[in-house]
Amino acid sequence: MPVVLIARDDQYVLNHTTRFIARDTGTVSEPFHLPVVDTHWDGASAETSYQFNDVTFVHRDDEAREVGVVGTFGELHTPVPLREVRFLDEPTGLWAATVRVGKGQVHRYRFTVDGRSVLDPVNPQRQRTDNGQEWSRFFTHGCAVPVSFDRWELRLLERLVTQVLPFQLAENRRFLADFYHKLSRSERDRQFPLAFLMDESVGVVNFIDKLLAREERHNLDDYKICLRLIDDVLRARFPGREPAELGRQAFMDLYDELAANQVPGWDHGRYGEPRYFLLLLRRHAMTGAFAHPKHGGNHGAAAWAYLAERFEFDWRAAVEAPLGRNTDYRG
Amino acid sequence: MADETFDAVIIGSGAGGAPVAHALVRAGKRVLVLEKGPLFHSQHTSPDGLSDFKRDEEFATGAEKVLQVQGVANTGVSFYSSHVEPDLNDEPHVYRDTDGQDRVTIEGYTAQVVGGGTQLYGGVSLRFAPDDFRLRSANQGRDDLRADPGGDVAREARDWPFGYDDLEPWYCRAEELVGINGTRDGQLKPASVDNYQKPLEPNDISAHVAAGMDALGFRRYRTPLAVITEDHAPSGRTVPTDRESIKTAFVNRYGDPLGLKSNTWVSLLHPISTQPGFALRANCVVTHLSATNGRVTDVHYRDPLGRERTVGGTVVVVACSAIESVRLLQLSAERDAGFADRINGNGLLGRYFLTHCFGGASARVPGRHDKSRTLDSDWATDACATPEFVRANGLWAGGAIYNNTSDSALPISMARTWAANDMDTMWKGYLYDLDMRGDQFDGYLTENFGRQLSVAFMANQLPLPTNRITLHPSVRDKWNRPVAHIDKGWHSHDRAVMDVLADRCREILARGGDGVQLIGFGHVGNDVRRIANHVLGGARFGTDPADSVLDPDCRAWRFDNLYVTDGSFMPTSGGANPTLTIQANAFRVGELLTTRV
Repeated sequence: MPVVLIARDDQYVLNHTTRFIARDTGTVSEPFHLPVVDTHWDGASAETSYQFNDVTFVHRDDEAREVGVVGTFGELHTPVPLREVRFLDEPTGLWAATVRVGKGQVHRYRFTVDGRSVLDPVNPQRQRTDNGQEWSRFFTHGCAVPVSFDRWELRLLERLVTQVLPFQLAENRRFLADFYHKLSRSERDRQFPLAFLMDESVGVVNFIDKLLAREERHNLDDYKICLRLIDDVLRARFPGREPAELGRQAFMDLYDELAANQVPGWDHGRYGEPRYFLLLLRRHAMTGAFAHPKHGGNHGAAAWAYLAERFEFDWRAAVEAPLGRNTDYRG
Repeated sequence: MADETFDAVIIGSGAGGAPVAHALVRAGKRVLVLEKGPLFHSQHTSPDGLSDFKRDEEFATGAEKVLQVQGVANTGVSFYSSHVEPDLNDEPHVYRDTDGQDRVTIEGYTAQVVGGGTQLYGGVSLRFAPDDFRLRSANQGRDDLRADPGGDVAREARDWPFGYDDLEPWYCRAEELVGINGTRDGQLKPASVDNYQKPLEPNDISAHVAAGMDALGFRRYRTPLAVITEDHAPSGRTVPTDRESIKTAFVNRYGDPLGLKSNTWVSLLHPISTQPGFALRANCVVTHLSATNGRVTDVHYRDPLGRERTVGGTVVVVACSAIESVRLLQLSAERDAGFADRINGNGLLGRYFLTHCFGGASARVPGRHDKSRTLDSDWATDACATPEFVRANGLWAGGAIYNNTSDSALPISMARTWAANDMDTMWKGYLYDLDMRGDQFDGYLTENFGRQLSVAFMANQLPLPTNRITLHPSVRDKWNRPVAHIDKGWHSHDRAVMDVLADRCREILARGGDGVQLIGFGHVGNDVRRIANHVLGGARFGTDPADSVLDPDCRAWRFDNLYVTDGSFMPTSGGANPTLTIQANAFRVGELLTTRV
């Protein structure tokens, strides 16, 4: 598919990058901000704009004569040229290009600098292809493709977050099921970038999967270690059973044990404070359930719809169309 | 010799800087505004039609970050900042805690972005009361002040160099040009012109506050808010067809994608941005000033990529919020003994740092209300700012009281502020309430969502020389410059002020109708961490060069061309949110400067 280039000016590039990059001491702060994934606006319609993001690639090289980017968002062998970003009519050493990319996608990319292929030195997200080559990676809003967890981890996590949220109550489960089924086919296609089943965690696991790839990468190890430990604990307790398939009571008990910071069979040498993990999980579950769906949770705004159904909460009034009904605000 | 020169170089684009720029550019002068943060657009000012601000709870108080500053007692703690707050690891403010240890202040709020703090504030735009300008005279000869055994009020209170009536025309100017909605009737603050736009209908939860104020005989008025509710000719902004849609809970701590909140970018700077005399450089941090014989010759700054540049101005205006302005002057003094002698010959630079006596009460109301349709506040009262009230309660000064409507309005914000008083305890109440899960989570929402209501007060803090800003001896920012170090405590009389006003807030809610359950009331009087919100003083102005840093025109006493126009000029902090007063004073100084450049 041909790449659609978007005009974002130099001021935009400087606004979204220099705070992190420019410095005399220390390293780049919050490197997960690159590439910049932002709202797309085609100047005409919320409906057509909503399917896309603008992705701005930025590379710093004071010496380069030519910088480009290749990736799975476009044609793998034809670099998209980056332009030289200027300040006061002088080159800054920053190179940038903005392309339109569909929502809900994961892509890999590399920069080409004077013909050499290089990884994005800032963005910490990496991906290794089957042939062993390493690429930089990004994902767009509402992405449901797992990037941080394996399948068994996702399933276990699903069971854990369900303990935290109110959606396991029978009436709330019914609400979620009804909410999803009541959506028309076109609404589903519009609001749900990728097909998924509405579940009791309203996409929280996916939110956590994305959060740990970017903003809270520093918490990824906690999850990896604790999910392994929980898997070990549950397998020891229920020999021959798949942990993610265990009944509700097993997870309610586990929650209580984590809360008490005393989980029989927990290897404290590998992770000292099981309760700390529960606190992480609680914050992430709450945030993932009720944050804007672009962050990967709150699928189809189901948690907001639950609040609107149970209480008074006209979320659609403020949120951009077509997810909400505000046509002044473009998201 | 600087790389280039302007009539005026203004450092900072918020409430203190933008009005000066506006006045000078309108008078045909050549002005450069340098801003440390980015130029984040609202939709109507953006070349691509999109705003850099979003209605997204993750933008106001985002993902977890970890404090990595070394040599302080809270290294390793979590914090959750907005997308335009300073990066605490790159440029922390360090305060001396009550245990004698240094900690980085977690409380954000001062925004690094074009528009400064006015991008994130709730927009409460109260004037100060007439007595706020004359607290020395008003308290002369009193022996009835509570909790002031040392006579500190008599010794430390200062009158401003001018009175309310002198600033009044500039309040009118600010209210007209910034764009504010509210009502005048019932205010203690007389206005020669009513420039308010018509307020929108209050959120119905605020009826409890109206009832409580009425029951106590407190005259009330619609809180003046810097949000336009009608088309605003001075800034060329227009409002949506559905005016009720202006009310959203994405207000306090959010930049406004539609530009209806009257931050200084959309209200003052964008309207002059096409004028030939105006230049704005965002993402540019000023590192220090250099001067010769009392004349600032060079403003040294780093461009967006960190390269060193200089610029000169016939006048140089420092307006990067009180702590950072004081720090910039101190950093300049550190490099040059002559500069130091001129700016701090009397040892007052950085002293008399102030915030506000602040606190309030919160309650749960019997009915449920959609708090997502609201602005930041609906009702205010000056009943506790009258001379009679102040005297009757043995206080040196009073304050404004108003209700908050946007707090706990959105689901994540309700959880993260659950049983949390400030940014330091953000999330903790909810996280450690481990029983709150499943049906108990549902019960928590049922009990609280759309039912929480709070009332706050804002009052003068007693100025003390020991409350001060200095340069930290060891902690440095990402440009390897010493960071600000803050010593600040509360006077016993401050606590008396806060006790009285918090109790009035409690009473308002207690009298707010059947079924209103008080959750709590209190104030910040036992907490020294509150040093990010409403930062004021540190470079106070006055009529006596031995007793002040700035002259009545906000010019540094022994400099020809150096002005300071953010809140650091204030000798007392006023009994109301400070932004409108900073703006009014900056318009006053801006007008003065049109004759000096």
